[in-house]
Amino acid sequence: MLSLHLDNLAKSFPGLGSPVLRVDFLTIGAGERVAVTGGSGSGKSTFINIVTGLERPTSGKVAWSDADITRLSETARDRWRAEHVGLVMQDFHLFPGLSAVENVLLPARLARVADAALIARAHDLLKGVGLSRPDQRIETMSRGEMQRVAIARAVLRKPGVIVADEPTASLDAEAGETVGRLLLDMAGETGSTLIVVSHDQRLIDRLDRRITLGAGRIVADSLREEAAA
Amino acid sequence: MIRFILADLRRLWAGAVVVVLLVALATALGVTVTLQERALRLGSARAADKFDLVIGAAGSETQLVLSSIFLQPAPLPLMPGEVLAKLSKDPRVAWVAPVGFGDSFAGYPLVGTTRALIGSTVSGFAEGRLFEKEGEAVVGAAVKLPLGAEIKPMHGTAQMGGETHAGVVYQVTGKLPPTGTPWDRAILVPIQAVWHVHGLGHDHDHEQDEHHEGEALQVTQAAAVTDEHGHSPLEAAPEHAGDHRHEGEAPAAGVRDTHADEDHDHHGAIDADADIDEDFAADAPGLPAVLVKPKTIADAYKLRQEYRKGNTLAVFPGEVLTSLYATLGDAKMVLSAVAAGSQGLVAAALVLVTVTHIGQRRRQIGALRAFGAPRLSVFAIVWLELFLLVALGIGLGFMTGLAAAQMIANAFTVKSGIILPVGFTGEDLRMALILLSASAVLSAVPAVLAYRQSPAAALRA
Repeated sequence: MLSLHLDNLAKSFPGLGSPVLRVDFLTIGAGERVAVTGGSGSGKSTFINIVTGLERPTSGKVAWSDADITRLSETARDRWRAEHVGLVMQDFHLFPGLSAVENVLLPARLARVADAALIARAHDLLKGVGLSRPDQRIETMSRGEMQRVAIARAVLRKPGVIVADEPTASLDAEAGETVGRLLLDMAGETGSTLIVVSHDQRLIDRLDRRITLGAGRIVADSLREEAAA
Repeated sequence: MIRFILADLRRLWAGAVVVVLLVALATALGVTVTLQERALRLGSARAADKFDLVIGAAGSETQLVLSSIFLQPAPLPLMPGEVLAKLSKDPRVAWVAPVGFGDSFAGYPLVGTTRALIGSTVSGFAEGRLFEKEGEAVVGAAVKLPLGAEIKPMHGTAQMGGETHAGVVYQVTGKLPPTGTPWDRAILVPIQAVWHVHGLGHDHDHEQDEHHEGEALQVTQAAAVTDEHGHSPLEAAPEHAGDHRHEGEAPAAGVRDTHADEDHDHHGAIDADADIDEDFAADAPGLPAVLVKPKTIADAYKLRQEYRKGNTLAVFPGEVLTSLYATLGDAKMVLSAVAAGSQGLVAAALVLVTVTHIGQRRRQIGALRAFGAPRLSVFAIVWLELFLLVALGIGLGFMTGLAAAQMIANAFTVKSGIILPVGFTGEDLRMALILLSASAVLSAVPAVLAYRQSPAAALRA
């Protein structure tokens, strides 16, 4: 379980006059379940990339518990992310040609940490998300099933934080409902902090806190509003 | 990782097959050139191994060796028969054997020679025995004729419009074991018979002998005999040139046409039961070449020196082959450059294709990194995937090259009788290692691009 502290964070891209993301201060507590919302171009994806260490900010600090990941090298950030972050993406990013269980285990295998216990956990997780055929080829699955495999992959190594980027956007209402519930259940089970970027109101309503971005800045934070109230 | 790579290759099997085939073909081209050139050197060197010194009339050294040792049908000028007699009595000579050619049977060349040559160069017989009479013949291992078969020689070859010597028949008395040389395809008959078939060297007609020999000498001096039938000068004596000339054709260059109007049958006859006389006198008919076995190396050099003057030419087959190999080496260099060029083009095409492919797979690579795959794993996946394909192509190319070289060598052996030993050596292993190393470096290009790719940028792609 990890907490997040952002200080004076800014991310700029060459050719753009102002930063695409600027967060003076933000804290997300360990185990908190947070929705990040905002319109297109509001900085949601940049926010996700920076807090997961996929991208380095131009300035500022990104501290997960005591670790400031902006100081880590790219290789060290990869290692840190593999250990602490479970990612779920809108496009699933599953690998065709591999079975469901092989997809769940792939990152762990590439990081050479897939021992017998982890393999057994992969099978349990697939069962847990309602998939009874772990050897089924990924390309033969429905989109809802694919996202469930992606969730199993994200929580395999019991990450301190689960970050989901529009996890229900490409699913129908029923599948979206199932995936949303699974995400919350898995986060609860592993005790992970949960950050979900979503436009899905039903999913947002299930989360503890809602942060809204606009033009690269935090324009609303339900926690602050509650505190102010 | 291997499972991921194999799944990827299975998914993209068509592209993978094309890459493997392209690499295999480019490699096979270079391998075939190398193996074939080496086999040709070895095969020809082995074929000439038993012949230390060749003496013929002044002319082309290369043609002398090609005709007398490799039995290539081509006209040679004649040298005086007295050379043979002189060499027979020379104490520096272990054995000397004349060779006379120009006739053929069923596509096999007939070579007139002596028992000394056969006895000294071949160990034993596969079947039968040596010829003992003028009408007997010994065949090489690749000649498809059984013992007792009759041979009716043809003047020249069927392809060149040759005609059969009327009334001349040899009988096969022996078959030689395989030697891997053109002599495996040869029909060996007594040189005495060849002379007699061509109306030369009859003791009973000494006057005629002198006449013919005189002509042969003139031919030798002219040293530019060309017969439209491809006959050797042995047959292309001036009288024959006149006999064989087709209507409307001019006499061969350098040949006196003194007998053109005579109704003279150029075909002689043999007495099939006559004993063979291999005691050559100074008035023996002219000859295209004699093969000499000197007693010592020093003798070989002395003889070579002695017979490289005037109207005779003495050569070591090895030295002629060396100069031929230099030409062969030049040809190999050109072909190797072509092969290397094609390999370079394939390599460049592969880099282009894989770099484009990596561009198309940016999101997948980004996702791998996002899920925590180490950068080195991403590098290894991309590198190994391409390297596996190229290495497979190289392996397949070497096998294809070997098969192609073997096929060419077999075809060559059927045609020439020379066995070309096709096979890999340490040099090929070195070449394979160089190619694999180059592939390893080549495969690193897209792998480095994947390694350096920012996962966030890749996911945005």
